[in-house]
Amino acid sequence: MRLSAPPEAIYAVEQFHKGRAEHSSTEAEGFELGRDRARILVVDDQKLIADSLAEILRNEGFDAVAAYDGWQALKAVPGFRPNWLLSDVLMPRMNGVQLAISIRKNFPKIGILLLSGQAGIAEILQEGLRHGYQFELIAKPIHPLHIVERLKRER
Amino acid sequence: MMSFHPQKKVFQVSSGAESFAQWLDDGGAPALDPRIHLAGIVASSEDPIISKNLDGTIISWNSAATRVFGYEPEEILGRSILTLIPPELHHEEQEIMRKIRACERIEHFETTRMRKNGERFPISVTISPIQDATGKVIAASKIARDISEKKKNDETRFRLAAIVDSADDGIISKDLNGIVTSWNEAARKIFGYTADEMLGQPVLRLIPADLQYEEDEILRKLRAGQRIEHYETTRQKKNGELIEVSVTISPIKDEAGKVIGGSKIVRDISDRKRVERLVLQSEKLSATGRMAAAIAHEINNPLESLMNIIFLARTYSVADSRVHNLLLTAEGELERVAHIARQTLGYYKDTGAPTEVHIHDLLENVLAVYASKMIASGIKVDRRYADSQAIMVSKGEMLQVFSNVVANANDAMPEGGVLAISTREVSSAFGDGIEILIRDSGVGIEKDNLARIFEPFFTTKGNLGTGIGLWVTKQLLEQRGSQIRISSRVGPTNSGTTVTIFIPFARPEVRSEATQLV
Repeated sequence: MRLSAPPEAIYAVEQFHKGRAEHSSTEAEGFELGRDRARILVVDDQKLIADSLAEILRNEGFDAVAAYDGWQALKAVPGFRPNWLLSDVLMPRMNGVQLAISIRKNFPKIGILLLSGQAGIAEILQEGLRHGYQFELIAKPIHPLHIVERLKRER
Repeated sequence: MMSFHPQKKVFQVSSGAESFAQWLDDGGAPALDPRIHLAGIVASSEDPIISKNLDGTIISWNSAATRVFGYEPEEILGRSILTLIPPELHHEEQEIMRKIRACERIEHFETTRMRKNGERFPISVTISPIQDATGKVIAASKIARDISEKKKNDETRFRLAAIVDSADDGIISKDLNGIVTSWNEAARKIFGYTADEMLGQPVLRLIPADLQYEEDEILRKLRAGQRIEHYETTRQKKNGELIEVSVTISPIKDEAGKVIGGSKIVRDISDRKRVERLVLQSEKLSATGRMAAAIAHEINNPLESLMNIIFLARTYSVADSRVHNLLLTAEGELERVAHIARQTLGYYKDTGAPTEVHIHDLLENVLAVYASKMIASGIKVDRRYADSQAIMVSKGEMLQVFSNVVANANDAMPEGGVLAISTREVSSAFGDGIEILIRDSGVGIEKDNLARIFEPFFTTKGNLGTGIGLWVTKQLLEQRGSQIRISSRVGPTNSGTTVTIFIPFARPEVRSEATQLV
């Protein structure tokens, strides 16, 4: 998968790799419930979905932030250091599987949940599989509490 | 020509009727010697005529005898009649001679004789004593008829009768008054009447009251010697049930070419008609389905937002207030819409062109979608993949198929269980292909429901089912030449359902775009 990207994206990737170095050197992996709230990065190009889901997760005791595309998400990862990435699949510019692969490669400890209910994701998943990546997928539309339940279980 | 050897008391007839006639034309004696006259008749007979004296020596032999037995007169005259009788039947001759000596006639005795080349053939013989002027039996005349052809015809008739009786199509004949004259086994199966009940009865018994006018027209055409092909109409069974049939009716003619009745081949096409209606219905649905698929993308996202927003609104409402309860109801209704959207619109993609995929990859894709739900319900997945060959299928359709089956399996195991999925390459009656077994250890399907499981809009899931999941699944599979079977077991132990899907490697010709489904 080629990342032919605009300049701001290249900047994002640079920041991302810089952050990755910091992340892995300074931060203990994972989190402990009770001591620290689990951090969730919610990514969806549908702003309404990303915002509402992040709000619900915050109400449920998570530390959740929303991003509206893949680059924004990549930029946010080093600073926010999420425990979970919760991403839509079909998004413009960088799809959810491409985003997930970047994160899995560089931050293998971050849990990844993909959300999609749309036609056309089979090919995208297939491409991920060809590169040796498989991700857990939740079919949309889904009641938010099902997502909450899933996040509360071990990944 | 003809020769007479009084010394040997032998007539030799060496040529046929034509030369005899020629001989007459050549100015043969007008005052015909009766012996010569008789000889002429013998010579021109189509049947072998042989005479023999009382010790069994052949003393006359006509040209038909030569044709049938293969011996020329000079070869056989003076030899024993036993020459023509197979050794194992020699005993017959003693009995024949006993009767002849007693001046008895033997008529149409069917037996086997032997040609010069050793070939045995069926024959019918009539043997009469020849008496001298004093009435003493001095010889025997034998008129034989080669009945090989007749036997063959009998066999053909028996064979035809057997074919008619074993045919899947009803074969009925009737006379020109519409009275049934023959009725085969398949006709019994189709209409429920036995041959005894129908022979001699008017064929109108099979025609519903409002269609009886058809018979007049059929008989009119038959009388005119016309054939009626693949005429589709409705007929009535003994139990009153109406069935759709295709009939082909041909006139039956006698030897003179006169129409004496009609033969009718009836095929029960009720099943085919049912399928045709379903296809028509599915084409209508498919148009709807494509439109729905086109907007599915636009529906699923707003649905997701709505669900989040209503949930949030409820969270912020005062517990047990009117607003809270209304939002709770709205959430429940939305959940239903979401379920239906996932089941029917989830994966559909108008992938007209099939691509090469591995079935186990598609299964994994579907399992990935259900993974979190299955973990939550305590369902373990047991995978055994043994398909190595890629197969040409429409991915979107197959994902929809597997997704529907896996969703059903999940619904059958609310308390958890094992979902066993296996694939293997098989050679079956439908050709070589991949067999996929998806087995759940769930509650099982009651027998009555199992019979209806592929019917559109049949559901056991109450409000949560659309009743089109398995129907769509079956349509998607069958239009690609694939098969689906479901077996199930209910009861306190070992209950569960097994879905077997077979996908052939060699795809039958792809049906038109118009028959593609949701």
